Amino acid sequence: MATETQVMGIFGEERQAVDAVVSLKSSAEWPIVRVHSPIPSHALAEAMQVRKSKAGWYTLVGGIIGFFAGFLLAIYSSTSWSLIVSGKPIVALVPFVIVGFEFTILFAIFGNLIGFLHQSRLPRLQNLETYDPRCSGEHFGVLASCAPNDLERLTTFFREKGGDVQAFASSNPETE
Amino acid sequence: MSQLTFAEIDRTVLDTLRPPGRSYWMVVGVLFLGVLMGAACWAYQIARGIGVGGQNIPVAWGIYLVNFVFWVGIAHSGTLISAILHLMRAGWRNPIARAAETMTVFAVCVAGLFPFIHLGRVWLVYYMLPIPTQRTLWPNFQSPLLFDVVAISTYLTVSALFWYTGMLPDLARVRDDAEGVRKRVFTVLSLGWTGAHEQWRHYTRIYLFFAALATPLVISVHSVVSWDFALGVVPGWHTTIFAPYFVAGAIHSGLAMVLTLMIPLRKIFHYERFISMHVLESVAKTIIFTGLIVGFAYGTELFIAWYSRNPVEMEAFRWRLQGHYAYGFWIMVVCNVLVPILFFFKRIRTSIPWLFGISILVNIGMWYERFVIIISAVGHDFLPNAWGFYSPSWVELGVMVGSFCLFFFFFMLFCKHLPSVSMTEMKETLVQGESHGH
Repeated sequence: MATETQVMGIFGEERQAVDAVVSLKSSAEWPIVRVHSPIPSHALAEAMQVRKSKAGWYTLVGGIIGFFAGFLLAIYSSTSWSLIVSGKPIVALVPFVIVGFEFTILFAIFGNLIGFLHQSRLPRLQNLETYDPRCSGEHFGVLASCAPNDLERLTTFFREKGGDVQAFASSNPETE
Repeated sequence: MSQLTFAEIDRTVLDTLRPPGRSYWMVVGVLFLGVLMGAACWAYQIARGIGVGGQNIPVAWGIYLVNFVFWVGIAHSGTLISAILHLMRAGWRNPIARAAETMTVFAVCVAGLFPFIHLGRVWLVYYMLPIPTQRTLWPNFQSPLLFDVVAISTYLTVSALFWYTGMLPDLARVRDDAEGVRKRVFTVLSLGWTGAHEQWRHYTRIYLFFAALATPLVISVHSVVSWDFALGVVPGWHTTIFAPYFVAGAIHSGLAMVLTLMIPLRKIFHYERFISMHVLESVAKTIIFTGLIVGFAYGTELFIAWYSRNPVEMEAFRWRLQGHYAYGFWIMVVCNVLVPILFFFKRIRTSIPWLFGISILVNIGMWYERFVIIISAVGHDFLPNAWGFYSPSWVELGVMVGSFCLFFFFFMLFCKHLPSVSMTEMKETLVQGESHGH
């Protein structure tokens, strides 16, 4: 049973969406669930007071693991069959730098991707119900939640801000 | 550009994904036949042995490795455009970044086939992998050939992930425009991307890291490829200039291939308002720059050979200029250094036929550069009694033609099935230019 309603204001202009977000934030009457945009919008991020992503830590950890993995693999391979080639040392650190470097990049990228997917909670192939397809094209969506009896007021609010309105029923709202 | 709107960008790109006509499938069919022909040549080589190729002592590295280096080089400008120019905030890269990244991924795939083909007994390729085997031997990581395995496989993985991640917002746009099975396919491909602020927050951050990590990688990869040669003591190869020389050459050839691909794409898909003359001109100007670096490298090689007073080195380079393969040397000098100088003239770098023609010549010149480096060095090294010639057999030429068909086959499939221009980055360009036309 729906205990709360989510309403999306859909705006054709970035500044209208920013204006709606700022007003919702300042009134604190209806919590913002999320905002959608077809491009990374600095103005919206600022209005939403978005914090810096922590995905970079995954990248760093991946890079460190890769650095040691590359070196250790090369050292392990060499010492597993200690054959001197061209008078070079068995554990020749200079050529192993290349292996270490490539593994650093590779694992950092893996960490980067894992960080992104984990932090963004992707993939998410279900639960696209509270999403309007126009938001991937040319519109900016601001999703806010309200009590069912407050639907009319929130709708009016978005309309006054210049937006189109889409209402969704939700029993388990996900707030920002 | 100032008249463009978000809706127009979407409409133009999404229109390219409408079901193609018969002529498209005919071209795809012809390319596929070319791929089959190349595969048949390779199968013939596997059945009869590597001796069906023209490579033999002293020239044991033939055009299989020429093509390997050529395709790795082609791959490089994709990363230059998508990563390095992204970090430098060069806005003109946005309309061509997607196609250039795609070119990178396919070119590395094609390049990666050639060591397998060159290997002869391809079923033993797993010897290169650091895994326990019945040989109880592990790969020798001191060998530049193993550096190559690590570098190229890393480059392919990173390029493919960079390409795919960068495409997520556009895949979501295609999903939202599609119906039926197509919608389901793109729902999976887009991983449920909705452009929520939380997604953008992480996306912009990791995209920056992708670019920052891909930049040193791209430089390392062609440096490693150059060390396949430079770490050998062969005259003409054993030089410290090889790494920067190869990286500049790779970007030079890749930019030329970008023009070769973009100019028809622009015409066929009506991308004239996206891929403007300014964009093509910027690529042409970069080609002047890389061409001059490559020219400087050619000159430095010759100067150092003369200045060394080393008779073997001097003879190797005299032969390069005047010997059996001198035609290749002069083709490379003319096509890679002299012809791109024409781009100094605005009239030429803003003319589509000139741009296209010069891009083809640079592609040819860069192929010959690799031919000259690889073939002429080992064909004429230390001892006159060990000198020899090489000419590719029909099997090698068949595989080479097949590789070109494979690259263009992949690219043709990409153009009609995935967005070939990044809608998101085009929209960002509009907003940054404050010419948002809603």
